[in-house]
Amino acid sequence: MKTDAELVASALRGSQDAYRELVKRFERPVYSLVVRMVQDPAAAEDLAQEVFLKAFRRLGSYDPQWKFSSWLFKIAHNTTIDYLRRGGPATVPLEAEEGDKGGLGAVLADGTTADPQAMAERRDLARSLERAIAQLRPEYRQAVLMFYAHGASYQDICEVTGLPLGTVKTNLHRARKELAQAMTSLGWGPKGEMAGETGRVPGS
Amino acid sequence: MRPSHQNALDRWLAAERGDRPEEAEAALAELFGALPLIAPPAGFADRVLVRAGIQAARGGVFASRVVRLVLAACLVAMGLGVLWLPPTLRWLAGRWSLSDVVQGGVQALIDGTQWLASALRLWDLLLTIGGALTQPLTLPQVTAILVACLVASSLAFRFLRDQISGERNWTYVDPI
Repeated sequence: MKTDAELVASALRGSQDAYRELVKRFERPVYSLVVRMVQDPAAAEDLAQEVFLKAFRRLGSYDPQWKFSSWLFKIAHNTTIDYLRRGGPATVPLEAEEGDKGGLGAVLADGTTADPQAMAERRDLARSLERAIAQLRPEYRQAVLMFYAHGASYQDICEVTGLPLGTVKTNLHRARKELAQAMTSLGWGPKGEMAGETGRVPGS
Repeated sequence: MRPSHQNALDRWLAAERGDRPEEAEAALAELFGALPLIAPPAGFADRVLVRAGIQAARGGVFASRVVRLVLAACLVAMGLGVLWLPPTLRWLAGRWSLSDVVQGGVQALIDGTQWLASALRLWDLLLTIGGALTQPLTLPQVTAILVACLVASSLAFRFLRDQISGERNWTYVDPI
C-alpha cells in the first residue's frame, strides 16, 4: 500500500487514481471531525468536500515533512472555524433516527454484537456521548475529537489549531471534566453508584 | 459479560470523581475507541472528484457510452446525407433561376452593409463617451490621485484578507 506522501506525489504528477485514493483514505476521519464539530450532516458533507477541494488546490504547497493527516486536519480546522464564524447552525445536537444511514444510528448499529440488548445499550451510550460532545465549546470539542476519536498527539493538535502546548493540554483537561459532567447529567454513572449496576439511572 | 465500552465508561467516570487524570484519560480513549468514525453519505468521493473537475477529465470526452452512441448516429446521418445530396441539389436547381440567386445575393449584401454602418455609428458614440471620460486623466494631478487611490484600496483589500484568513482561532466563535 502506498504511503500518503507517495499518493500526494502521484497526484501532483496528475494521477487521478491517487486523488481518489486520498479521498477514500481520509473521507471518514475528515467527515467525522467536521460533522461532530458543526452538528449538521448536510452542512458537514459540503464542508468536508470543501476541505478536500482546498487540499487538492494547494497540494503543491504540502510539505512531506508534515503528516498528511495533520495538514488535512488543519484545512478542516480552518474551514470549520470559518463556517462557525459565519454563524452556521451549530446549536442543533447531532441526532439520528433509527435506521438513519448517514447518522448515529448507522454508526452504532455496527453488528459486532448479536445481543440486541447490548446493541441497544451501546447505541444509547453513544448517543449520550455525542450529545455530551455537542455541549462542549467548539475549541474543547475539537481537542477532544482529535485526541480521543482520531488519536492525534498533543503536538498534532498544536500544529492544527496553532495553539501552544499548555493551552491544548488545559483545553483537553477541562473538556474531559465537562464531558464527564454532561454524561452524569444525562444519567450515566460509575458502577456501584447507580442501583448497583452500571448505566443510566432507571427512568432517566 | 459486560461490554468493554461500558467498563471503560465506569472507569472513566470513577476516575474523574476520584481525580485520577491519567486513568480517566486512558479510559476515555478506550471509550472513544468503541465508537467508530462516522462515514460520509455514499458517493462522497465521487462528488468530491466531480467538484474538483477530476472525474470529468478522467475518461475523456469519449468515455461516456451515450456520447459514443450519439457520435455513431451522427456519422450514419452524415453518410445518408452524402447519398441524398446530389438529387437534392438537382431539385433545388430546378426550382430557382439564376436571376433569383443573383437578386438574393445583392439583397444580402445591402442588408450586411446597413448593419455594418449601424455598428460603426455605435462605435463612434462609444469613442466619444470614452474620450470625454478620459479627458481629466491628461492632467498629471488627476492621474496621480487615481493611482494613489488604487494603491491604497489594493493595500486595504490585502490587509483585510490577511486579517480574515490569517487569524483562525476560537475567540470569535460563539460557544454552544
